[in-house]
Amino acid sequence: MRFPGHDDRAWHVAWNPTRSILASCSADKTVRLYTYTSSASEPNTLKFNYNTTIPTGHTKTVRAIAWSPSGKTLATASFDANIGIWEQEDSGEDGEKGEWECMSLLEGHETECKSIAYSSTGTLLASCSRDKTVWIWEVHPDADFECMGVLMEHSQDVKCVAWHPKEEILASASYDDTIKLYLDDPSDDWFCAATLSGHGSTVWTLAWEPEQGQYLASGSDDHTIRIWRRLPGQGELKFQCIAVLEGHDRSVYSISWTKAPPYVSQQAAADGQRNLGWIASTGGDGTIFVWELTLGDNEDAPHIRHSIITRIDAAHGVHDLNSIVWCPRPGMEGTFATAGDDGHMKVWKVQRTEEVGK
Amino acid sequence: MEVFNPNPTVFAPTKSHRVAQFAKPHSLWLNDADSDQEGEYEDESNEVEAIDQDEIFELIRSISDPEHRSMSLEQLAVVSAPQITFDLKFPDRVTVEFTPTVPHCGMSTFIGLSIRVRLLRSLPERYKIDIKVKPGSHQSEHALNKQLNDKERVAAALENPALLEVLEQCLSTASLNA
Repeated sequence: MRFPGHDDRAWHVAWNPTRSILASCSADKTVRLYTYTSSASEPNTLKFNYNTTIPTGHTKTVRAIAWSPSGKTLATASFDANIGIWEQEDSGEDGEKGEWECMSLLEGHETECKSIAYSSTGTLLASCSRDKTVWIWEVHPDADFECMGVLMEHSQDVKCVAWHPKEEILASASYDDTIKLYLDDPSDDWFCAATLSGHGSTVWTLAWEPEQGQYLASGSDDHTIRIWRRLPGQGELKFQCIAVLEGHDRSVYSISWTKAPPYVSQQAAADGQRNLGWIASTGGDGTIFVWELTLGDNEDAPHIRHSIITRIDAAHGVHDLNSIVWCPRPGMEGTFATAGDDGHMKVWKVQRTEEVGK
Repeated sequence: MEVFNPNPTVFAPTKSHRVAQFAKPHSLWLNDADSDQEGEYEDESNEVEAIDQDEIFELIRSISDPEHRSMSLEQLAVVSAPQITFDLKFPDRVTVEFTPTVPHCGMSTFIGLSIRVRLLRSLPERYKIDIKVKPGSHQSEHALNKQLNDKERVAAALENPALLEVLEQCLSTASLNA
């Protein structure tokens, strides 16, 4: 499925976690919103409709977007160094849908803002920039934000921020080839608790294993994806690289991790393994991979196995793909969206026959 | 402005032997003077035509050097046809190597960016370009290569009006000598 696209490169897509809205952002400085419905007669098919365009007012590329867990707020990160906070006005009595309004503009970064993410509870927002910093903002009512910390740990451009799915742990990835993890010291400030080295070039993208957050995946300019396992230990953070996924032959720009549909997990359990879900990845080679991860039942010596269950070449024709995101909503397992240099967004579904429909 | 190479060696340019007929019609950088040669290159077939080393060189040879604006990258031997190579497996993936005139050349990022933008605007969309400095030719080779191939940083640089203005000036000569 494909939609009328942006006028310029599409950088990022984001599924609203509670409402049937999919958003994309672009170098054309806008955000486009699409709504979707599933029909009762064809439960496997989603019907998408273009909803609206938010002009944003950003003076440069809108690089990344993030929905709050409530699905009410959308945050935009722009190369103009600012972050926009957007909410939809209540619909009027005539039933007309409300416009998307800029509730707040967060200024602080000195140069391009590259990524933005809400924590799992929605109380914290993280952002990062070419200015080498990661900012943590506390979300207050009425679109009020307070800066809780400016982390200056990376020696270069910070490309991506990602919150742990359950705990208040933040991960950041950088042009300095490392990943850093941060914790909040209750009696003091946020601090860097771990640095993960191993990638041979820029780390572009991060994704936590969504169920327990025991694993972190990272995608890099070195064409690989690494899987890091959190080692047990009270009050400290330690990670170990336990797998390197090779398949892409250009930069990996985006990865997304989802739990597998029930039929997959059940089959794994029947085989004495634990399914760790699916990772979708894409990048400069224009190819999409979906990797299935399983763990042997020996928890003491965890051995993670990965296999490619789907490969789609030239997913956006000759163009690079910049973003790939699984739909997080229940009942939508196996559905993901991509955005590419062609300005388009596409939605895909991994079918049970392991055949992907467009 | 700091001068990185006050006295560069100048090389004789080659004669242009053909026009880059595959360049997009709306490209700003191909002027009408070329139109009388167009007939020679009309191709009725719809096959995707491979582009060779010389044709890519043709697109970048006359870009102005940012430090010595009256001279082209070819005249300063910053670019040359043999430094353009194709991936054997994927013929649409091209590596363009260039040679800074001095190993401390602070203009190298800019030169690499001008080559990238010229090719971005002229080559069909299917091409993926990697830009690299000649190994051993620059003191910050690794950093330079990394920056020139980071699409996000290239995209952000091209939203910088001051940089873009100088870039357009250097590219504006890129077809005049053809």
